[in-house]
Amino acid sequence: MSFDSTVALEKQLRSPLCACFPNTPVKPKSCAILSGIIKPSLLSYLLLILFTPILSAAEIPVIAAASNIKFALEDIATSFHQETGKSLRISYSSSGNITRQIQQGGPFELFLSANARYVKQLHQQHKTLDQGKVFALGRLALLSPINSKVMLDEQLTGLKQALQAGQLQRIAIANPKHAPFGIAAREVLQKQQLWDTIPPHLILGENAAQATQFASSGAAQVGLVSYSLALAPALKNRVRYLLIPSSLHQPLQQTAVLLNNAGDTAKLFFHYLQQEKARGILSRHGYTLP
Amino acid sequence: MTDSAIQITLQQAAPIPLSVQLECKSGELLALVGPSGSGKTTVLRAIAGLYQAQNAQIICQGEVWQNSMQNIFLAPYQRHVGLVFQHYALFPHMTVLENIQQAITHLPKQQRQAQALELLKKVHLEGLEQRYPKNLSGGQQQRVAVARALARQPKVLLLDEPFSAVDQVTRRKLYRELLVLRESLSMPMILVTHDLDESNLLADHIALLHKGEILQTGTPDFVAAHPKSATIARLMDQQNLFIAQIISHDQTTKKTHLRWRGTLIEATYQAQFAINERVCWMIQSENILLHRRGRPSNGNKENPLQGQITEYMESSGLAHLRVQVDKQLDTTISINVPLHVAKRNALGLHEEIGISLLSEGIHLMPYQALRSES
Amino acid sequence: MDWQALALSVKLSFVTLLFLLPIGILLGRWLAYRQFWGKSLLQTLLALPLVLPPTVLGYYLLVAFSPNQGLGLWLVNTFGTTLIFNFQGLVLASIIFNLPFAIHPMQRAFAAIPREIREAAACCGMRPSLVLWKIELPLAWPGILSAMVICFAHTLGEFGIVLMVGGNIPAETQTIAIAIYDRVQSFDDHAAAVMSFSLLLFSMLTISFTYWLSARSERTHD
Repeated sequence: MSFDSTVALEKQLRSPLCACFPNTPVKPKSCAILSGIIKPSLLSYLLLILFTPILSAAEIPVIAAASNIKFALEDIATSFHQETGKSLRISYSSSGNITRQIQQGGPFELFLSANARYVKQLHQQHKTLDQGKVFALGRLALLSPINSKVMLDEQLTGLKQALQAGQLQRIAIANPKHAPFGIAAREVLQKQQLWDTIPPHLILGENAAQATQFASSGAAQVGLVSYSLALAPALKNRVRYLLIPSSLHQPLQQTAVLLNNAGDTAKLFFHYLQQEKARGILSRHGYTLP
Repeated sequence: MTDSAIQITLQQAAPIPLSVQLECKSGELLALVGPSGSGKTTVLRAIAGLYQAQNAQIICQGEVWQNSMQNIFLAPYQRHVGLVFQHYALFPHMTVLENIQQAITHLPKQQRQAQALELLKKVHLEGLEQRYPKNLSGGQQQRVAVARALARQPKVLLLDEPFSAVDQVTRRKLYRELLVLRESLSMPMILVTHDLDESNLLADHIALLHKGEILQTGTPDFVAAHPKSATIARLMDQQNLFIAQIISHDQTTKKTHLRWRGTLIEATYQAQFAINERVCWMIQSENILLHRRGRPSNGNKENPLQGQITEYMESSGLAHLRVQVDKQLDTTISINVPLHVAKRNALGLHEEIGISLLSEGIHLMPYQALRSES
Repeated sequence: MDWQALALSVKLSFVTLLFLLPIGILLGRWLAYRQFWGKSLLQTLLALPLVLPPTVLGYYLLVAFSPNQGLGLWLVNTFGTTLIFNFQGLVLASIIFNLPFAIHPMQRAFAAIPREIREAAACCGMRPSLVLWKIELPLAWPGILSAMVICFAHTLGEFGIVLMVGGNIPAETQTIAIAIYDRVQSFDDHAAAVMSFSLLLFSMLTISFTYWLSARSERTHD
């Protein structure tokens, strides 16, 4: 009988150690299943339950915005929250990409596009409540890292010189295929007769923010990017920039439009965008007001 | 056929050709013997249900385990088989005791341990309950495998070359243990082996398997002494296999006369062969008499032959001789005599001796070409 | 450190594991034990995510589940939901993308179990489900666990598919890998650095653990 109880005791001591501790000289037994598979599964269920409260932010509406407006929009959203107590979740990407996502059923309630054309397209496809509202005008800037030697001027002569001298390898713009700031950059380059010679030197950012990041980090020596992003506090003292005259490109009409599934908070925010407080923030971030 | 505990019929052309009809009584041990690749393991696996033959009928202790015509096939876990694998197949992550307990499904949990300990005692492995298979010797693992097979309370015990992986000393011990164990078992046992000595020692009956076909069944002694064909004789490791021609059958003396390469030989009456027909014949060593030097006896008169010892080997108390009988006959006869007899008769290489072939030991088989004879 | 993105990533990994564990065991076992017509075709299909660019898979998922036609439309009409731009869509993409990482180690683990042992279990009277529970899983568990760990780490690092099929929606599809991308574009190098380093550490831990596991299982199985 004592032999049996010793065996039983040994079993009891061994089973929790089974798969967890490498140095105990025990073989994996049926209890290995417990340690190896059931326990992680239970753990995962636990974590699911734990994390879900954090993620029941799923109630908060989602809006999509072109990435050039990021810093301005975050300040506006904070101000909105302070005044109304309501929160928003914001998804940033290029305007063209967001348009595609909306066409494919993306769960956005409000779209802040960098130009009017995409909004018009969505309206024609009956994805929006109305034609939208231009709430700001975007501006372009020439941007380069702070210690770069390239001369920044409105006629882009400094750029041409650097190109001819072989000092300029890469210039970053947003992808004209789906980013309005890229289209504007292309227009500027065309106006200054650089568009034909520039292609081997172009790096295309997936959206306005990535183009700015390329230029600010030095991956490109120069970028033709959103002025608002050039003003970003994070880039202070890291970059030099020059505002490009708006006559050199089609207006970058920042257009906001409510989508078909827009709820009350989104509608509230849509109107908030057009009011004084928001307009002030936009102006501070380099947008011209209509 | 009806009072056998297990009856097996397997017929299949492909992928493995099988033509098998076997039976075994309770308490008896049947050895499936044959060279490698003859299909012995396949037959065993078919009995266990691990292999499904196309046309088969397996009935064990009244239960129909397989009947192809009625589309019945019981899976291995539905049959009560005890199978001892060639490499034991013990569960490496369980102790010896747990291994055996897996097969005890018919008892409630509390009683399983006691039963397993009982079985361990039966195979002389008390004290090793908590060991893992990794820490057991080959012989010990084999005993655990046997205990586990018996724990199932099987309706038939199957052993697949269970002794092939152990050394000879251990093997002898295990033979003895199996023979003792047999006494207490009441189920049919089927042993697969390619070792003829093993089957002679352990089996009540043997079934000789060659290329999937059962060539002959019977007691080991009978099959060895009366093979139906020269092929069987070869498979039974008979050394003395020759070709002769029937001369006459004498019903009064009950003898059949043969001509073997110019010499006249007398065998027992076997009239199924026609006059002038060529036959194969064989004789076992125990039916060959050595003429004692200096002490002639009556036995010397039966089929006497003179010859010279061309090979002489001593091993395990026996002297193995090959005798070339007469210069004209360029074939040799193999005989084994006890060592003391060899010594007493001063036998050795190149010695001249006389031998007698006992006519009752000369067994005739249908003619087939033998490789050693031209 | 974006805790919300991290929590989302961890939740995605665990939910993927919950599905991949039974799928991996069943498929891995089936492939390990059986020969059947079309087996090599199936194995090729299951191995595709190993070599396929994530964008290809993302593209096909977008096409398949776009709510404007076909399967996507049926889903919207029947369940009122889609499988893109939400967490469920990510789970589906993640399961598909991790299939070879789940199945291959498990298949190897099951194949390493000698056939005779499974047969001996059957002869002991165990029905197949019991053989799986008592014999196969205990012997294969290192491979299973290592498959789960690899899948977890792999899911944590998924980017291309998540971006294409999920969009970049905070608390829904903005996983930590996307969050890093997002921070870089926001010039928040500090946050990007913190999160990247954490993921690097975690990946190293994962790989070490997997190696240790396979060394241990080699010892156990002599």
